Amino acid sequence: MKWETVIGLEAHVQLSTETKLFSRASTTFGDEANTNVNLVDCGLPGVLPTVNKNAFYKAIRFGLAIDASINKVSIFDRKNYFYPDLPKGYQITQMEKPILEGGSIEINIDGIKRKINITRAHLEEDAGKSIHEGFKGTGIDLNRSGTPLLEIVSEPEIRSSQEAVAYMKELHKIVTFLDVSDGEMSQGSLRCDANVSIRLKGETALGTRTEIKNINSFKFIEKAIEYEVKRQIAVLESKKKVEQETRLYDSVKNETRPMRSKEFANDYRYFPEPDLLPVVITDKEIDDIKKHFPEMPKEKSIRYVQKFGINESESSIISNSKNLANFFEDCIEIVNDKTLLAKILVGDISSLLNKDAKEITDTNFTPENISQLINLISDGTISGKIAKDVLEQIRSKNIDPIEYIKAQGLVQISDEDAIEKIILEILAKNSEQVKAYNNGKDKLFGFFVGQVMKATQGKANPKSVNLILKKALSNEHT
Amino acid sequence: MTIQFLTISELKDLIKKKKISYEELIDETFQLIKKYSSINSFITLNQKQALINAKKLDKNNLQTNLTGIPIAQKDLFCTKGLKTTCGSKMLSNFVPPYDATVVSKLNDAGSICIGKTNMDEFAMGSSNETSFYGNVHNPWKFGYVPGGSSGGSAAAVAAGLVPAATGTDTGGSIRQPAALCGLTGIKPTYGRVSRWGMIAFASSLDQGGPICRNAEDCALLLDAMSGYDEKDTTSLKLDSTKIHNNINESLEHLNIGIVNEFKQNDLSADSQKLFSNAISEFESLGAKISEISLPNIAQSVPTYYVVAPAECSSNLSRYDGVKYGHRSSNADDLESLYVNSRSEGFGEEVKRRILIGTYVLSSGYYDAYYKKAQQVRRLIKNDFGNAFNEVDVILTPTSPSQAFEFDSKGKQDPTELYLEDLYTISANLAGLPALSMPNGSINGLPVGIQLIGNYLEEEKILKLGHHFQKETDHHLKKPSLEEFA
Amino acid sequence: MDDKTVRTIFYLSRLREDKNKSEKIKNDLKAILEMVNSLKEIDTDKILPLHNPLEETSRVFEDAVNSDNEKSLFLENAPESDGDYFIVPKVVE
Repeated sequence: MKWETVIGLEAHVQLSTETKLFSRASTTFGDEANTNVNLVDCGLPGVLPTVNKNAFYKAIRFGLAIDASINKVSIFDRKNYFYPDLPKGYQITQMEKPILEGGSIEINIDGIKRKINITRAHLEEDAGKSIHEGFKGTGIDLNRSGTPLLEIVSEPEIRSSQEAVAYMKELHKIVTFLDVSDGEMSQGSLRCDANVSIRLKGETALGTRTEIKNINSFKFIEKAIEYEVKRQIAVLESKKKVEQETRLYDSVKNETRPMRSKEFANDYRYFPEPDLLPVVITDKEIDDIKKHFPEMPKEKSIRYVQKFGINESESSIISNSKNLANFFEDCIEIVNDKTLLAKILVGDISSLLNKDAKEITDTNFTPENISQLINLISDGTISGKIAKDVLEQIRSKNIDPIEYIKAQGLVQISDEDAIEKIILEILAKNSEQVKAYNNGKDKLFGFFVGQVMKATQGKANPKSVNLILKKALSNEHT
Repeated sequence: MTIQFLTISELKDLIKKKKISYEELIDETFQLIKKYSSINSFITLNQKQALINAKKLDKNNLQTNLTGIPIAQKDLFCTKGLKTTCGSKMLSNFVPPYDATVVSKLNDAGSICIGKTNMDEFAMGSSNETSFYGNVHNPWKFGYVPGGSSGGSAAAVAAGLVPAATGTDTGGSIRQPAALCGLTGIKPTYGRVSRWGMIAFASSLDQGGPICRNAEDCALLLDAMSGYDEKDTTSLKLDSTKIHNNINESLEHLNIGIVNEFKQNDLSADSQKLFSNAISEFESLGAKISEISLPNIAQSVPTYYVVAPAECSSNLSRYDGVKYGHRSSNADDLESLYVNSRSEGFGEEVKRRILIGTYVLSSGYYDAYYKKAQQVRRLIKNDFGNAFNEVDVILTPTSPSQAFEFDSKGKQDPTELYLEDLYTISANLAGLPALSMPNGSINGLPVGIQLIGNYLEEEKILKLGHHFQKETDHHLKKPSLEEFA
Repeated sequence: MDDKTVRTIFYLSRLREDKNKSEKIKNDLKAILEMVNSLKEIDTDKILPLHNPLEETSRVFEDAVNSDNEKSLFLENAPESDGDYFIVPKVVE
């Protein structure tokens, strides 16, 4: 491969504050159009912005997590342009003195770790939404207008679409764990623009870059970048020049297209926001934020292993998902067998979540019902096989485990005499197979076990079945 | 008419002595306004609500400093449910859903909002000749300007229609019309009065303040209008001023500075004489007169005409025909919506300032113009800082000339009108409080003097003004209004 | 100011350049720029720009919702609306 890919990512993280950056209207997502809009968000004549301190605290938390330097005096600037979902005709942002500078995000691809450096991160307000369908014209909803964003700009050090995805996933992890953002790409709380360019391997100068917008999932990050890289290589190999332009990613056609070009380039005429004064963050405030720093995945994983005795690999998986980790910690109080809890969370439950592409918080699984299930297994009331069925019933029908087991009569048969009786019956019925087994066909053991399970509707305690069956078969032998 | 030309305390006296009820007071006010409607001082009247409020007050029989006092609001302050136009076609149909803090404070103090006064469009002007609603006449002479941008407010008070009005001052828009109309007006320290609901022209320069018949009434109004407002981040964290109660206290002998660099300006011989008279008057009040230097003062007008247009070009971007205000009927696509609505909605002066503002902020010019101007602004502020180490108050004329005829200035060259703000602009750039009061007249047209105080020293300059007015009678003169009846 | 610059600032300001008034506006802008050119002569080496005259610092506010929805109030002023939305001519990306 003679070409090298150079990628810089601009991520917009919507901060999970209660209110907007410059007004105290709610930031709740998905409400009816124009309901979370007050006079300030609407840009009415005579209104003025007031600063949300929680937005600063969240930005600082992020800065501490990535080891960025924090600008203790923050200035806001106006970025002037016209667009219908930008009510004031300018966006309040930070140009000259962003709240954060420097820092890095570590990505891990197949065990190889690499640090991607961050150029800067700044606070700015989001615009509203333009709805093109369903109106004679375009409908403007200003609910989102004024929501706090943290724009994080990476150095152009990313070298592949896989790295880009890894970077965004790591960013997602950091912001969700820090309670800085809910990081939902599908809802727009985490957005990504990619600056992509190509150069010959060994070159130090940067090639002409294009900016790819409208990427709203991890999968599309990879596809959009791959398409663009291929496209740029084709352009350069046919001895043409790559145009510096903004391109939109079309996920349906899986291609990037240049945005409509304008006659005049936009000159944003940045100048310091005269309605706001510099925001000063004190050392004490930064120390307070440090003191109340939420536990990050790495530390969490170590703690789980040390405190609860679960294994490292399961601990790592659980601790890397905020939702799973919270679920786990809620169960830990009520569950008897912690190792089993971890195993089932990482195994059966995670498979079901992946199949449905859901977060555990969007399912019928609750710490209460899952803990109950775990306890029922660990105290021998039901077998592992039955437990799988119960789990599925919870998932699809939201049943209560104890009631269901009672109603269906699924309590495990552990009575050894009862099991022995059944086993002897089965061996009696299947004398041919018994002979074959005793002549060396070991695999038939599974056949007998299956027959026992069938006869007991799966309720026989597998351990007991194994023991008693072995004994019975060897008795037959003699 | 009994109430015409009365001050607030004179009106309060009539009410206290039960010589007039609140309802009668308000009723007569509207009759006066109707009689002198040719002055064109009002854009919108609040007659129905004002009478309802007056009747309520008569029932309650409350009497505080401002209870029942008729006040005119400059049409730049948002008034809930009452059209607010900023003198512009762009907002000719705009009814705010909220009150400006200044408006609610004055309402809470018991005063009655009579209506919204005419003004230069979006506060840009020094003669009230740029209003979409037509020129305002100076009550002292038909066909002459009252000054601007708070021309309507000044005219309403000068004609004795109301005892007080609110104005806003970005480069002199309270002080200069006060001077041209023979009234007293004060621009407070930047941040003293909340800008919430005060439709923005130049955010770092705008301040609201009163225009009244004397310093005492100005103090009364400032006490009611001022004070910290959390909705305005630039609002100073201070309680309202409490000047009116202390206004009669004696003042220690003050040191008054006369600006060296202003001596170079071409004041007419008559104006020079009046200014010298004022100096003598202050001396006889016990003040010491010194000369001070403000080395960069000549740059105030150039500095202002970079900073103010820059901020206004951005502040006026919200007028895009999308959410409120004028929308062109010629709007098939987005660009037409913007360009036609804005071109139809804004007048020439506003457009000029938006264009200059856009230019000085644009890439390639920002450093040479905007950044440079803000640096010179600091030099001007520093000059004042040095001067206030030597003197307590600075005395200047308010305006280079008296009222002039309509259309006589600025038609060929807009900068001609800009120079009207020569003496007043620097106080806005530095954020200092400044008071203008009458100091006589030339050819029957009033002339004003200006007292500039140090930060937060409104009390000092109002007291000094009040003492000056106790010994002089310029503020007691009234126009004949023969040409208007 | 050359014609291209004039066109650019008209565009950035979203104002229509009126062919009839073209000379006047150019002259007006020229006069204003000439007036402000005197700033060039002033030595501002190492001087920080002054943005807020009193150089205060900001107050910041608690992150708590305290405003009622005023949708009906400001939609009332909308030149064109459809249900809960402000309407503008169709925007093409």
